[in-house]
Amino acid sequence: MAETKKTSSRRLGRTPDGHSRVSMNRLKILVTTVNRAKADFYMDHIQSFGVNMQMVFFGKGTAPQEILAAMGLADSDRAVIFSVIGEDRLPAALESLEEKFRTIAGGKGIAYTVPLKSIIGKSIFNFLSDNRS
Amino acid sequence: MSTSNHELIMCIVNTGFSETVMEAAKDAGARGGTILNGRGTANKEAESFFHIAIQPEKEVVMILVDSKIKDAVLHALYQKAGLDTMGQGIAFSLPVDEVVGLTPWKAEEKDGKVSAQSSTAKNG
Repeated sequence: MAETKKTSSRRLGRTPDGHSRVSMNRLKILVTTVNRAKADFYMDHIQSFGVNMQMVFFGKGTAPQEILAAMGLADSDRAVIFSVIGEDRLPAALESLEEKFRTIAGGKGIAYTVPLKSIIGKSIFNFLSDNRS
Repeated sequence: MSTSNHELIMCIVNTGFSETVMEAAKDAGARGGTILNGRGTANKEAESFFHIAIQPEKEVVMILVDSKIKDAVLHALYQKAGLDTMGQGIAFSLPVDEVVGLTPWKAEEKDGKVSAQSSTAKNG
């Protein structure tokens, strides 16, 4: 009986605990750490890649003053932007961020992604993945 | 863009102990981190039952590190800023898929051995 149940849940694309499994356009959290003065610029830029929800936290960097100066940064005030982004838009977003980090004066930063494991609510999932169809 | 060998270490400590965290992390090979301020919550009933007071003001230290030194950094944080210390810290790591913007870096030799071989995080 347990085996039958397992087979049928696999056919439905569900995990053994009954949750739906997403195999296309998984969501990730894009974490972008930049100079605080550039936070709004980067948030607008990330939003242009179909990101519908972002949160920004203000904090401080811990790098020594010599390294900051070498990187062209004047102070240690930082903004950490958390953006929920679909896997399909990620390569373009990261490529563009990398270019901005290199070319914008005082715009140096780092960005990385952390995979999202679960989410509850179909409409929330569609909102976060900008699925308008 | 690089498919990374990095992990994100998050360490939540009492306010004022982020320097202890960063010192421990740097000794284990990390390069820098970002400190955020936060407020912790605790079960009031449990606090009075166990006769302990939880300081609500917290600092969250985010450190991106090479996977190779992740265990060493977590171990150092546990020793220097763990729950048995004044910092009352907890630390955990999250997987990181892609990284951009990291400056290539090589650690200086310390006590005859290199503390971190490749680029670890510098986000400060």
